[in-house]
Amino acid sequence: MRVLQIDSRLGWFEFLMLIAHALTKWFLVPTGRFCAVDHLSFTVRPGEVYGLMGPNGAGKTTSMRMLLGLLDADEGYAEVGGFRTDVAPREVKSRLGFVSASDGVYPWLTVREMVLYFADLYDVAPDIAQQRLEEFARLLEISPLLDRRAGTLSTGQRQRVTLVRGLIHDPPAMLLDEPTRGLDVVGSQTIFRYLSHLREVGKAVIVCTHRLDEAERVCDRFGLLHRGRLLHEGTLHDLQQQTGREHLVDMFVDLLRSANGTGTGSLESQEVQP
Amino acid sequence: MRGTAGRMIRLCLKELRETLRDRRTVMTLILMPILVYPILSMTLNRFLLGSALSVDADQPESIIGVATDEEAEVMRTLLSQEGSKPPAAVIAASDGPPAIFAVLGPKEWAQYGVPRVDPTKSLEDKWFDVFVEVKLEAPPRIRILALRGDVTSQATQRTLVDRLNYLNQSFVASELASARIAPPAQIQLDVERVGIEQSSSLLASIIPLVLVLMTITGAVYPAIDLTAGERERGTMEALIASPVSRGAVLFAKYIAVVTVALFTAIANLAAMFVTLWASGLMERLMGTDGSFPWLQFVQIFLLLILFSGFFSAVLLTLTSFARSFKEAQAYLIPLMLLSLAPGVLSLMPGIELTSLLAVIPLLNIILLSREILAGSVSSGTMVVVIITTIAYAAAALSIAAKLFGSDAVLRTSEQSIGASLRRPAATRPVPSWSEVATTLALIVPVYFVLSTFLARMAPQSEDVSAITWALVGNGVALVIIFGGLPTFAAWFCRDQFYETFRLRRPSILSSAGAILIGLGMWTWAHEVFLFAQWLGIRGLDAQRIAKVTEAAERLRLVSPWLVLTVFAVAPAVIEEWCFRGYLFSALRARTTAAVTIAATAILFGLFHVVTGNVLLVERFLPTTLLGLALGWVAWHSGSIWPGVLLHLSHNGLLNLVIYYKERLVGWGIGVQENAHLPLAWLAAGCVLVFAGAAGVYAGRSRSEA
Repeated sequence: MRVLQIDSRLGWFEFLMLIAHALTKWFLVPTGRFCAVDHLSFTVRPGEVYGLMGPNGAGKTTSMRMLLGLLDADEGYAEVGGFRTDVAPREVKSRLGFVSASDGVYPWLTVREMVLYFADLYDVAPDIAQQRLEEFARLLEISPLLDRRAGTLSTGQRQRVTLVRGLIHDPPAMLLDEPTRGLDVVGSQTIFRYLSHLREVGKAVIVCTHRLDEAERVCDRFGLLHRGRLLHEGTLHDLQQQTGREHLVDMFVDLLRSANGTGTGSLESQEVQP
Repeated sequence: MRGTAGRMIRLCLKELRETLRDRRTVMTLILMPILVYPILSMTLNRFLLGSALSVDADQPESIIGVATDEEAEVMRTLLSQEGSKPPAAVIAASDGPPAIFAVLGPKEWAQYGVPRVDPTKSLEDKWFDVFVEVKLEAPPRIRILALRGDVTSQATQRTLVDRLNYLNQSFVASELASARIAPPAQIQLDVERVGIEQSSSLLASIIPLVLVLMTITGAVYPAIDLTAGERERGTMEALIASPVSRGAVLFAKYIAVVTVALFTAIANLAAMFVTLWASGLMERLMGTDGSFPWLQFVQIFLLLILFSGFFSAVLLTLTSFARSFKEAQAYLIPLMLLSLAPGVLSLMPGIELTSLLAVIPLLNIILLSREILAGSVSSGTMVVVIITTIAYAAAALSIAAKLFGSDAVLRTSEQSIGASLRRPAATRPVPSWSEVATTLALIVPVYFVLSTFLARMAPQSEDVSAITWALVGNGVALVIIFGGLPTFAAWFCRDQFYETFRLRRPSILSSAGAILIGLGMWTWAHEVFLFAQWLGIRGLDAQRIAKVTEAAERLRLVSPWLVLTVFAVAPAVIEEWCFRGYLFSALRARTTAAVTIAATAILFGLFHVVTGNVLLVERFLPTTLLGLALGWVAWHSGSIWPGVLLHLSHNGLLNLVIYYKERLVGWGIGVQENAHLPLAWLAAGCVLVFAGAAGVYAGRSRSEA
């Protein structure tokens, strides 16, 4: 296990919460199979927000699902808190919080019932879960919603509920897949406030987002993913030096142009190996 | 442990809460029964009213049998009177013309070839619809006999009673019209049902069909909503990302679906019974007296628990595949049509619950319910139906747990359904839960059908070749069921044979100890058998015992080697292969040694109880005891081989004693079958067992104990 590594800048041993080791996933398609994620490797420290960026179909969601153990990797593995996804999937799952834009709610349960149900799934003692729920509800301003049916919530309210739900077992690492999709400016700001809070309390966070401007402000490090490969990795400063561009938006445009000349990186244009 | 149970209860409550708050569930649960049954009963009432007036359109005459020609004349006179015709309002409300009665006295009997038998017999043979006895008094006294449980006969009886009542009323009317003060003449009426209950009572045939329909109605929506609905709502990913096992989540959903299905069934059942009872249709359909049929109500309810338990598991398996509501509904339509077939089939009078049909899912429950309602069920068949149904439900549920939230369901790409059921790519040390459940669901019906078949094929004569073939057949069946099926399952699922069948080499001490236990164990088994009989646990009557003894006598005609091979060597190797190998390793990897030993011993005992159509309940305690000993030895030795030796020495000794019984008696070593053993023998048995146990314990495997 490579949980401890020497930090090149600090010259100090540091603890790695999340590690991806050459994660690879092939999908079968009618014309053959294509590589959705190609030997993806990266690490995330506690208290660090890692932005996994890339156009649609770059393999971000598939990578997240492999980290979570929802999909089995064809090659490589991930480690969370020292546990390997392929060896101890339950240990890994209990150490990860997960929030996605496509997250739904149980329309007939109240917010409180739903969050406590997830606490039960993560085996959190009911009294502790209740305590955390009140605390996170205050933080994300959903205290008045706790006893309302989840089906009656607005999109923004629903997203805040799923943020609380992802945190209820107090995981050391969080995965957020497009958390701002479908949210207005206020809603997005809440998400980025939440990310800052996660960093403050020392969580290792991976976030996928298309809000590049906000990501520049909130992420400590970035990985630029294209066609399943990690093309660039580092802090914003590192990326600026690597690409010679000031902003992530420009880096993205360059990336897409150089990769296929058309500027679209959708799944359909992936090269297919029979 | 308590925390886990509490959590499981909370998970179940969440699923129930979610379902019961849903408006659509409540609609099917409450509104359907409240609306459907009254409407249905009104239609049925009208239909019955029509049929009561014209009993059968194709056969316009209802036949009344009478014993003498004088009585026939009186009946004809009465029925030909204008006053006996139904009032105009009743005729207008019915579909056909009023019924016509043909009265057959002895004069006509010869003409139609009616034999001279007693009235009940003639009704059972369907010569007449009703039989009437007329006492020639003034006014006449009439006794109507109808066949119990026969719909036509009872309808004719009711029509006849109605007609004679109309006549009485017309008498009253005419008497009053002529202003006579003296009380008008009245015909005295007695109604009686005779003959044995006919099995094809209408309700017994219809109830199973309704049972299928109402349970489906209740279970379908929650089953889809709690599985495919998870994906459609977008809660599936978060659910599967949690560390709780899919089996636990799915089990909670299963409990919720069964509960809702039962609620719906109870609501429907109550609505149906109350409507039928209140409208008086119950009496017409079932031939009961006017009281509420509590017994049938409870019987049907118990069947519903079994049925909904099975059906919910099957539903969940299908809906767990589905990625959306639409897809789930598409899967369920064929299932619904398929499940209507047995219901319709059960309406046919010729279909009976044979041993083969008793293992066919769904059809077995429906036929069982029909037999229970008709009061003609055998306990052996009932147990088989219940056990196979539970096994099928468990297998379906374990498949559902495998499918729910699997790669194919979770991913958006088109992935074939079969992929989740394909041979796994990687080997694993021991069988999984779902594999064991599926294997058991295969073993139970195959075992039952084969053992019934073999019992039927058992030779009744002293033909040596027939006996030999029967013995060989027994051996082959054993090898196929308990050897072949687990081996195939282990191969298919790529389990490591060495670990799965626990093939490691045992120590010499534990092997020797196991043989000693086997030699001494029969004394204990014998005493436990007597204890079971003393408790009144007895499956065989004197006649059957005589048959079994006879069969044992016949075995002496063939070679002792064949007997030993079939009854000692084959069971020792094959049963250990299955129970202390396959099942033991699967259970041991997931539970404590005590639970593993107890569970395998109880299963071992249960399989020995069901032989053919007969339940040998008295065998349960001794075989379970032997199973416990075998399990204990298997645990300590870490291998199946000492168990094989124990089983072999135990069965071998018993069979040799039975084979050479007469010679032994000649030597003065006789054992009375139903008497306790001499104390010295018991003591010797105890010494052997304890010495053997000490040997096994001393030679125990370090890795296990």
